Amino acid sequence: MERFLQTLLNGLSLGSVYSLLALGLVVVYRGTGHLNFAQGEMALTGAYLTYQFDRWGVPLLVAALMAMIVAFFFGAATEYFLVRPLGKKSPFAVFVATIALFLALNALDGAIWGGEAKVYPNFFPNKPEDFFSIGPAEWRWESFGVFVVVLILTGGFFALFKYTKFGLAMRAVASNPESAKLVGIPTNIVLMASWGLSAAVGALGGSLVASRNTNISQVTMLVIFIAASAAATLGGFDSPGGAVISGIIVGVLELFSAEYSKEWIGQDLRILPAFVLIILVLLFKPSGLWGSARIERV
Amino acid sequence: MWKIKENSTAHWVIRAVGAAIVVAFVLWTPTRNYQAIGEINDALIIALGAMSLNLVLGFAGQISIGHSAFFGIGAYATAILVKKYEWSPGWTFYVGAVVAFVVGAVVALPALRIKGIYLALVTLSIAFLFPKIVGWKKLEWLTAGQTGYDSVRYKQLPDWPIVGAFPKGQQGRAEFQFWLTMLILVVSYLVIRGIVRSRAGRSLIAIRDNETAAAVMGVNLAATKTIVFGISAALCALAGSLSALRSGTVTPESPNIQVLGSIVFLVAMIVGGTATLWGPLVGAVFYFMLERRLGDWSKDGPLEFVFGWAKTSPATMIFAILLILLMFVAPQGIVGLIKRLSRKIVTIVPAPAGTATAAANDGAG
Repeated sequence: MERFLQTLLNGLSLGSVYSLLALGLVVVYRGTGHLNFAQGEMALTGAYLTYQFDRWGVPLLVAALMAMIVAFFFGAATEYFLVRPLGKKSPFAVFVATIALFLALNALDGAIWGGEAKVYPNFFPNKPEDFFSIGPAEWRWESFGVFVVVLILTGGFFALFKYTKFGLAMRAVASNPESAKLVGIPTNIVLMASWGLSAAVGALGGSLVASRNTNISQVTMLVIFIAASAAATLGGFDSPGGAVISGIIVGVLELFSAEYSKEWIGQDLRILPAFVLIILVLLFKPSGLWGSARIERV
Repeated sequence: MWKIKENSTAHWVIRAVGAAIVVAFVLWTPTRNYQAIGEINDALIIALGAMSLNLVLGFAGQISIGHSAFFGIGAYATAILVKKYEWSPGWTFYVGAVVAFVVGAVVALPALRIKGIYLALVTLSIAFLFPKIVGWKKLEWLTAGQTGYDSVRYKQLPDWPIVGAFPKGQQGRAEFQFWLTMLILVVSYLVIRGIVRSRAGRSLIAIRDNETAAAVMGVNLAATKTIVFGISAALCALAGSLSALRSGTVTPESPNIQVLGSIVFLVAMIVGGTATLWGPLVGAVFYFMLERRLGDWSKDGPLEFVFGWAKTSPATMIFAILLILLMFVAPQGIVGLIKRLSRKIVTIVPAPAGTATAAANDGAG
């Protein structure tokens, strides 16, 4: 029971990070219909910025906030200068541009901060005694903190989608860009803001991941991005709720596989069962669990 | 601007000049030192991977970021058979290709249902899993786990007709490797050309342009997709086998076996020209040579004043920025750009359909 509960708690915390990045992918996809391949590396750059601001003596929370602001403008600029003009040529050109951005940002981070791993500051107390007990299991503050932050942010996102004028505009653009434009919604600003929001959330997600790992290097975000995109795939690329739930599913499944099958799966292959699950789900529901199927006209 | 009739003397002269340049390059390469040959060889191996990807992505329009796994299957097939079962390396190519064909066809099964980015991400997850699976401790008896295999090579270089005996040592090995790569490259090129220019190729393009319409016109989607994925995987495995012999070491950390390998193939294909026969080849050589040079230039060379501050090589970054610029000026790649520009100088006018020469050439070509 203790083992089960402990794994579950850790899984929730890991999965919530996936949810956050998957949410960023979904927000971009709903708005512009593109997969942002560079999401993980944007998050990595954001995490490095937090690290740099912290090194310059800015309090950590303010540093993270500053990184998010920079990331917001970077994301918006990406939409304006890359995605929009290239999207007029072909969707494939945008896909290539995000892959190029992925390579460029990763190499840039390496060029600025070096190839070796750096010790990352922790957002939450992480001394050995910093935990509270739930029954027989202990939930460490650093792990619990990540979960709570993600929960609050996700809640904020849904409130934004549901109750604000801006959220309404975003939903309108996602459902039909042409009509949205005709009823006077500033489509361009909405799209820039979706990319900006996604990048800002990514920057925070990246900082949380690095703080969980207690270090950061060029490869930190690759595995996280792959798991997050898997979560978005499982949930359906146009469903924010699906992304959040699937993120948790992937994270929990990952840790349970590692814990309950040490002999066969272990730490190395712990993501395998989640991938198998996703492929099986896609065979029966090709647009994910909660995604909407596309109807095609010929 | 000139207009030239298809298959007229002038057209044949252009073709002959083009062929002469290629042949001159191929004959000149083995006369250089072994490092230069090795570099070209590496570039050609990437070209082969990019060509195989082009078949699936460029012509059939199925996004795959999983080709590093097929590459890895080839590399591991060669390494395992040579080191563990002591086969002669030549035979391992067939085994790698057959295994990759089967795996590729199985991977294509979800592709029958899944489209677009969903397919891209499924193939990405396969590319991500492959190095983990070959490094898995339960498979250590076969794949040698994290350590992998080293000194995978011919014990003794076989004698080849025409090319003659190879000199001893590294120079001879490099020359031999180069001719082996050339042989496989030419065969693969002919296979891809044959597919693309045939009825099968037209169904691939139909699937890419509009899947539903293709199905309505009678293209068998399931069979076409499965077989093209299989062939593409098999060709990529040949590249993997070549790379195993070229570098001699095969581990889960080998660069093209990791996810990044898939991205390298993709980038090489795009830079050269998606859905063109020569594009991946040109793109891979361009990518490989430029990326190496960029690293040197920015350390101590002409680019030092811009990138001297970089802690790690900024080559990938510069190249990625060039790639973005390329998407703006020439999304159809280098070969596409050359085609477009040359059309402003020379246009090849095809012979009118139904005439005797056209029919004869159809039969021959």
